[in-house]
Amino acid sequence: MPAEVLLAARAITVRFGGLVAVDRVDLEVRHGELVGLIGPNGAGKTTFFHALSGVLEPDEGRLLVGGEDLTGRAPHVFASHGVARTFQTPRVFREMTAEQNVRFGLEFAGRTRAHAHHAFDDAGTILGVLGLEAAAEVPAGALTPARQRLLEIGMALGARPRVLLLDEIAAGLTHAEIDGAAQLIRRVRDELGVAVIWIEHAVRMLMSHVERVAVLHQGRKIADGDPRAVARDPGVIEAYLGEEGEPVREAA
Amino acid sequence: MKTTREQLLATLACGVVLAAAPWLLSDFLLALALSCLMYAALALSWAMFCGPTNYLSLATSAFFGLGAYVTAWSLGTLPYGAAVLAGGLAGSAFAALIGAGVLHLRGAYFAVITFGLGELALHSITYTEKTYFHTAGRIIGDPPENAVIYWTVLALALAAAATAILVRSSRLGTALRGIGSDEERAQTLGVATRRVKVLAFSASAFFPGALGAAMAVRWTYIEPLSVFNPFIGFQTVLIAMLGGAQTLLGPIVSAVFFTLVSEFLRLRFPYVFLILLGLLLIVLILYLPGGLASLLQRRFWRAGAR
Amino acid sequence: MGFWLELAASGLITGGIYAVVAIGLNLQYGLMRIMNISHGEFLMLGAYLTWLAHTTFGVNPFALMPLVALALFALGLVVYRLCFQRIARTAPAVEVIEARSLLVGFGLMFLVQNAVYLAWGADLRGYSYLVEPVEIAGARFQANRLAVFGFAVAASLALLALLRWTMLGKAVRAMMQSPAGAQLVGIDTRTLHPVVFGAGLALAGVAGGLLSMVYEISPSMGEPYTVTALIVITLGGLGSALGSLLGGFILGLVEAFGMHFTSPSLKMVLSYGVLVAVLLARPKGLFSR
Repeated sequence: MPAEVLLAARAITVRFGGLVAVDRVDLEVRHGELVGLIGPNGAGKTTFFHALSGVLEPDEGRLLVGGEDLTGRAPHVFASHGVARTFQTPRVFREMTAEQNVRFGLEFAGRTRAHAHHAFDDAGTILGVLGLEAAAEVPAGALTPARQRLLEIGMALGARPRVLLLDEIAAGLTHAEIDGAAQLIRRVRDELGVAVIWIEHAVRMLMSHVERVAVLHQGRKIADGDPRAVARDPGVIEAYLGEEGEPVREAA
Repeated sequence: MKTTREQLLATLACGVVLAAAPWLLSDFLLALALSCLMYAALALSWAMFCGPTNYLSLATSAFFGLGAYVTAWSLGTLPYGAAVLAGGLAGSAFAALIGAGVLHLRGAYFAVITFGLGELALHSITYTEKTYFHTAGRIIGDPPENAVIYWTVLALALAAAATAILVRSSRLGTALRGIGSDEERAQTLGVATRRVKVLAFSASAFFPGALGAAMAVRWTYIEPLSVFNPFIGFQTVLIAMLGGAQTLLGPIVSAVFFTLVSEFLRLRFPYVFLILLGLLLIVLILYLPGGLASLLQRRFWRAGAR
Repeated sequence: MGFWLELAASGLITGGIYAVVAIGLNLQYGLMRIMNISHGEFLMLGAYLTWLAHTTFGVNPFALMPLVALALFALGLVVYRLCFQRIARTAPAVEVIEARSLLVGFGLMFLVQNAVYLAWGADLRGYSYLVEPVEIAGARFQANRLAVFGFAVAASLALLALLRWTMLGKAVRAMMQSPAGAQLVGIDTRTLHPVVFGAGLALAGVAGGLLSMVYEISPSMGEPYTVTALIVITLGGLGSALGSLLGGFILGLVEAFGMHFTSPSLKMVLSYGVLVAVLLARPKGLFSR
């Protein structure tokens, strides 16, 4: 029996004036899936995330979370239906402590989803899992950008999501830290069944951690499937040859 | 004084002590105490919403004036207490009405539009009074006793303090702080920001409305210009910012200090007083935008770091 | 026919003043995000200066205009240096610059208005100049109003020409569109900011001087003009001098006809009503992109 579809994007289109940033993209994510989202600069990945989390209303298309149509609703509705995200540049509440930041998610979106998970029930546990217990009382603005990225994951977890949208969390982290983050994400997926969509620029690293990868290029989805197959896809290689070229081929 | 319960008890204790004033103070000092309480209440209720969210609201004069006119129009038909309550509700209703429309604006735009709404209310009521009631002002006949007015304002000040304390430690307060820090982020974590803002803005507007209704009886003759005076709004903002809009004690201490100083100056040098006020405002914004409270905070941080 | 022409003309005349004041405020806000709510007070200062010089030395008020402009320009440099420069340097975000400069502006408003109250009292002052009527196309106008109108239009057009065709003007426009970009190209924003601020105040002062020829002056005359300037900028779009010019005239006409069809005492209700409505509908201005 196939796992439940938690998040379905159907023909999502986002336009900025004359520019089409996201062009009829379809994406389905099921319970427990770990999906990578890659593409050259300007491919529309972050804009797509904005649509998936309700921050931007798509000009066309439908968004279904847990089977319910949330197209055009405000971001907090998406959050209370279990879509949580991080941002490309970490957006934490700078004046609040790390612990307060994580607790924020628990007090709002997390509260409406009270019995979704018990594993990460309080801010302390979440901070511990992220390795940030020592920084619990530190104002978030005083943390290094790398730790702020981790804190953002904690904030998103506090919202007790069904679907976690991670936007380039590896930037600025050491290899060990990235491995740690990847393990954390795996754990979140394994124990809680959370589906994860993960945008990453460091394609090689991403490919080794996910089981499925989707590729955006100039707003359109040009590939979606097993990482190795995607890496060999000529369309994907061509899209990247304009940029880096190497990372995709090496992963194959 | 860390826990909410302790803060509330302290407020109550102060209230009991202050309630004795009508029997202990001369008329002049009682009037002074009344002013202090009024501005403390105004500053506290302003800071309740604008402190955590960093909005700059100049609508206080509008709420105050509306409340005053509720009294002016209803005295005779409604008992004093009911008029005060009605004034508060009028303030909240007006705030809810405009809030829905203006709270998506920020920064100076929001300030200008709240200022504009206050002036619009002023000129609309002036026009209505002149055209439909054929009067420029109204006489408040048969006001309640000074002691009653004092106790009413005291009750409002205590209520403002209690509400501020409760909001701060509640989920609403957390939501407001999140909105002030990064509104979009707060939304993605589940805060229904529009609803929260209108609710808090409306709740905080109850107090200037009620205070306007309560204080109207101190004038024997009121006209729109005296109660819709934008100066009330500026002074509230100034006091709250001077004391530190994110703290509880800041606005209270600042209100007392300010009222005493300005009463003294106003009596001696009416125009110079306003010049000094302008100067004070400028110096404050330029050199101490976080208010006095930020000075203290810096001291504590440095002490704690050792 | 003559009556409607007179009504339209009086609307255009006030509109011309609105345009001059608005362009000044637009330069300040569009360039530096300084919400100078005390702008109208400097108009009032220009009016008092003109009145003082004219009644003391008997000089032709029009001849005084350059002097008033110079005086207010110098004052603008000082005010910028003392009050606004620090905000631009220390504020962490644009919103904060706006909010703080707004509050400083209020402080200035109290300061300037009450300094004038102290110096000359609250009574209305005035003088007569060029009050003989002139007839054009069957309508009669006071000569001074025509002269004021002509001067206002000339000043506005000169300013627009300056902005469009001179190096200085282009530098200012560049700064308005992209402060960082302008600096990269070598435009000295640190010198230009106070200059633009001073120019804004100079315009307000000249507008005030012109007004003193037609109306009586009082310390509180400035505030309504600040409000109308805000309306005009919002109507015409931030950073668009042409928008302010057109917006000023439109607002003048709206007010003239509105007051005629309703009642003069509704003037302030109309002004603030329009301000609120415009801010609600299009916070970025009607002509903005």
